[in-house]
Amino acid sequence: MKPTRYLLFLLALTTGSAWGQRQLDVGIRLQKAIGLYTENGLTAQYTPEGRPSQRLYFGLSYVTSRLGTALGSNAIRQDNFLLSVGYFFRPRWIVRPVAKLNVGYFAADYGEALFDDLPRTSPLVSPELGLCYCPKFPLKIGAGIGYNLLTGDGTAGPGTLYPVFVQTSVTWNFLSPKKQR
Amino acid sequence: MKTLASLLVLAVLALACASEPHITKDMLDGGTLFDPSLYQPEKYLVSKARPNPSPAEAQRPVIVACHGYSATTFEWDEFRMYLGNRADVSLSQVLLGGHGRSYEDFKNSTWRDWQAAILTEYDALTAAGYRNITLLGSSTSGALLLELIASGQFANRPAPRHLLMVDPIVIPSAKTLPLIGVVGPMLGYVDSEQPAAEDKYYYRFRPQETLRELQALLTAVRKELERGVTLPASSDLKVYKSKQDPAADPVSAVLIRRGAKTADGTPVEVQMVDSDLHVFTRLALRETVTDRDRQNQTATFADLVARALR
Repeated sequence: MKPTRYLLFLLALTTGSAWGQRQLDVGIRLQKAIGLYTENGLTAQYTPEGRPSQRLYFGLSYVTSRLGTALGSNAIRQDNFLLSVGYFFRPRWIVRPVAKLNVGYFAADYGEALFDDLPRTSPLVSPELGLCYCPKFPLKIGAGIGYNLLTGDGTAGPGTLYPVFVQTSVTWNFLSPKKQR
Repeated sequence: MKTLASLLVLAVLALACASEPHITKDMLDGGTLFDPSLYQPEKYLVSKARPNPSPAEAQRPVIVACHGYSATTFEWDEFRMYLGNRADVSLSQVLLGGHGRSYEDFKNSTWRDWQAAILTEYDALTAAGYRNITLLGSSTSGALLLELIASGQFANRPAPRHLLMVDPIVIPSAKTLPLIGVVGPMLGYVDSEQPAAEDKYYYRFRPQETLRELQALLTAVRKELERGVTLPASSDLKVYKSKQDPAADPVSAVLIRRGAKTADGTPVEVQMVDSDLHVFTRLALRETVTDRDRQNQTATFADLVARALR
């Protein structure tokens, strides 16, 4: 790589992504419930155009133990469907503090009618705090820690829905610069 | 500014240094009340009561009953009463290591200490010639038994005929237990807030060190079940699990059913019991006992004996 290109590449990595432009970031989300399963899947988030709304973004995610701990093991297969709204505290920074609120739906598959009396589904509500590495480059890497407000407690709620989780997402902005204003 | 910083450091230290529990001599934690099996082991352990069985006695079933975390042999006293003086089956009530002694003993024990007492009685029975042994575990003892199997402890021992588990725990109902490594040093201990009458038979205060041990055991067992646990060739396993359980999440039964198989690949047996009690076979000292609880207890005791006699 020529020095000029190398410098431009470095600049892209160390400069915050364009502010005020709409973005559609699609990628993978890796999630680990503290004390239980790894659940992986897909995530997408949309940042609307316009400076006043640039701090806000909207996302949807699907993570499942089928692509995590339950892959090739006897772990319970369970799915999480999430809608989220996020807020960048420092939208111009390359590493941005992020607060997020997720809501969604959890479903576990116990596999047998024997366990039909046990709770296996639940709404999901989880605040999340984290950081996003958002260079000018279309790549974004996010990491955060979240807390499920609704969990199982042995008498209600699915037993494999744990409160604290950590997550990492790696996404790519699919709205090309040509389409951006 | 320096003063403010010092105060802040002191406040953090005060929060970080947990206080000691208020233990009285009326509690099992106090070091003055001990599990009766420590004084009279021959009344609780078949290996001590009949160390030289006749050939006929050696063939009769012995049920080795093991209690749960923070409990004592008291947990299976009602089963002993249920058996009465019948001669076709014997009962050993094992006191887990670190249990039934004092808060300090409990605090200094590991889950391997808890488990060692089970193997000690099991080995004493097999050395004496007993060949028809059923291992019965409630709550944490269920996890301890699963770990014994998963770690191959019966590869070079005569295998137990039956494994029976009442409300075994793999997933705790308190989902914050995995955080004990972080918050434990600040808490120091957890007050079980059990009824005062139970203080003589169950540790009231749970040292964070033992909760960390419990979490380590549960994690190890869960991972073994995820990989798959195969019972010894001549053994079978049945789980009796309350549908609602404030200590051992009922989903523990799902994990055992999915993760454990007999030697020929058959899934292990699970019976979901219409109960909201943890260790529903122990009704003594409960504040409320319903007819349904009594029926569950009697039916399960009968089934335990019937299985041991198979």
